[in-house]
Amino acid sequence: MTSFGERLSRAALTGFCWIAILYLLLPLLIIVAVSFTTTAYLKFPPDGFTLKWYAQFLRDPTYVEAIWISALIAVGATLLALLLGVPAALVLARRSFPGQQALSALFLSPLILPTIVIGVAILQFAASLGFARTWPAMLVGHTVLVLPYIVRTTLASLAGFERTLEEAALDLGASNLSTFFLVTLSLIKPGVIAGALFAVIISWINVELSIFNTTAHLMTIPVKLFNYVQYSVDPMIAAVSAATIYVAIAVVFLLDRAVGLDKVTTSS
Amino acid sequence: MRISRWWALVLLGIPLAFLTAFFLVPFGVMVMASLQTPEGAWTLANYARAFGDFYYWETLLLTFRISLWVTLVAFLIGYPLAYYITYIVQSRTIRRLLYVVIVTPLFTSNIVRSFGWMILLGRRGLVNNVLVGFGLIERPVSLLNSELSIVIGLSYIMTPFMVLTIAAVLQNIDRSLEHAARDLGANRAVTFARVTFPLSLPGVVAGSLIVFTLSVSAYVTPSILSGGKETVMSMLIFQQYAVIFNLQFGATLAVALLVTTLLLIAGYLFVVERQSRGARRVA
Repeated sequence: MTSFGERLSRAALTGFCWIAILYLLLPLLIIVAVSFTTTAYLKFPPDGFTLKWYAQFLRDPTYVEAIWISALIAVGATLLALLLGVPAALVLARRSFPGQQALSALFLSPLILPTIVIGVAILQFAASLGFARTWPAMLVGHTVLVLPYIVRTTLASLAGFERTLEEAALDLGASNLSTFFLVTLSLIKPGVIAGALFAVIISWINVELSIFNTTAHLMTIPVKLFNYVQYSVDPMIAAVSAATIYVAIAVVFLLDRAVGLDKVTTSS
Repeated sequence: MRISRWWALVLLGIPLAFLTAFFLVPFGVMVMASLQTPEGAWTLANYARAFGDFYYWETLLLTFRISLWVTLVAFLIGYPLAYYITYIVQSRTIRRLLYVVIVTPLFTSNIVRSFGWMILLGRRGLVNNVLVGFGLIERPVSLLNSELSIVIGLSYIMTPFMVLTIAAVLQNIDRSLEHAARDLGANRAVTFARVTFPLSLPGVVAGSLIVFTLSVSAYVTPSILSGGKETVMSMLIFQQYAVIFNLQFGATLAVALLVTTLLLIAGYLFVVERQSRGARRVA
C-alpha cells in the first residue's frame, strides 16, 4: 500500500531525475545543433542546416593528422597497458605474498594522482633523459594513465570467478598455458574488454597529460581543440567537437552491446 | 590455472618495472626538482616563496572552495539520480538507456563539454534567454568568466562520477533489511533515512573523494570557463611549466597542491570513520 504522500514524493523524484538527465544531455545537444548552423558564428537555435563545417575540418590536414595521432596513442597505450596490466592483475589475484595489498594500491595509484602532475612528471623525467615531447614519452605517459583501468576491471572480474572450471581443465590434462587461453581468458574477457574501452576513451579525451608533451607536429585532437577554443570559437570547432561526441556515443553503445552498461559501471 | 613462483615474478615484475620507471621515478624527479634551484643546488627557497606569498594561499583557497561546491552540487544531483536508477526504474532497457546518457558525457572530452557550457552561459546563450524570458532578470547578465561558471561547468562534468559510484553501492544493498524496516512499520521516508542512506554512505564517501580530487586538479574546464579572470592552482602550475619555464617552482606548486589535497582527504576520512564508529556504538 502506498500513501498519497509517498506517491507524490516518488513523482517529484521522477520529475527531478528527468530534469537531471536533460541537464546531462543539454551541452552535448547544443554543440551538435550548433555544428549545423549556416551562420558564420555560433547560433542556437541554428539557422538552416549545412555540413560545410564538417567538410571544412575534414579538409584541414592538421585536424585529420591530430585525429590519427590521438587514435594511435589511444590504441597503442591501451594495448601496452593490456600486456602489462592483465598479467599483473592475474598474479595479484591468484598468489598471496607479503606486500600484495601495497602492490595492488600502487597499480591503481595513477588514478588518484592529478593527471596534470603525471604529465608534468613525465615531461621533467623525459627532459632529463633527452626524449621530452616525443612519441615514446607520449606513449608511456598515456600507458601509465590508463593502466589502472585495465588492472581494476581485470581484478574485479577475477574476484567473482569460478575456479572449478580451471581445475576441471587442468584435471583433464590441459597445460597451464592452454587453460589460461581457453578458460581463464574467456571468462574474464568481458571485464578486460570493458577496461580496454575505458582506457581507449580516457586516453582519447586526455588534455592534461598530453598538453605538456605535445609539439606542433605531435598534437592530439583534444589539445588542438583546447588551444583553439581558448582564443576563438566558431561553428567549425563545434563540428570537430560534435564529431568527438559521435565517437563517444559509438563507443558507449559498443560497450553496452559487449557487456551491458549497467553491469560494467556498477561492478568496479 | 596455477602460477609458478618463477612465472609470478616475470608476470608481475615487468609491469612493476614499467610503473617504477615511468611513474615512480618521474614523480621522484619532480619532487626533487621542487627542492632545487634552477642551477641544481638544494634549497627550500621554492617552498618559502610558495608559502610566503599571500597570492598562492588565495589561489589554493579558491581551488578548494570551488572543489567543495562542486562536490556538494554533484552529490545533490547525483544521489537522487543514482537512487532513481537503482530503486525506482524497473525496466532493464530504460535502466541501460539511462546509463548510456550518464556515461556518454563521461566519454566526451572536458573541452567539448565546457565548450557546450560556454554557448549555454554566454550573454546571448540559452540560460540568459530563459531567465529574461521568464522575467527573472531584466537584461542578460554575465555568467561566464567567474567562479560561478567554473562551478557550473565542473559540477556538470563530475555528476556522472558521483552517480556511478553511489549507484554501485545502492545496487548491492541487501533489500531484505529495507523490507524488515517496512514490515516493522517504518514508512518509506523513515526506511530511507534510517536504513538505506546509512548503508549507502560508503558510496557517498567514495564518490565525493573522486569528485573532490578530480575537481582540485581540473585544468581544462577552469581555463575555458574562467576566461582568464579567475586562476586555480592547476593553471598556475601550467603557467610555471609552459610559460615561465620555472620547472622547479612549478614542481613546488604541484607538490603543495598534492600534499594539501591528501591532508584534506585524510581529515575527511578521519571524521567519517569517527562518525560511523559513534553511530555503531549508538546502534
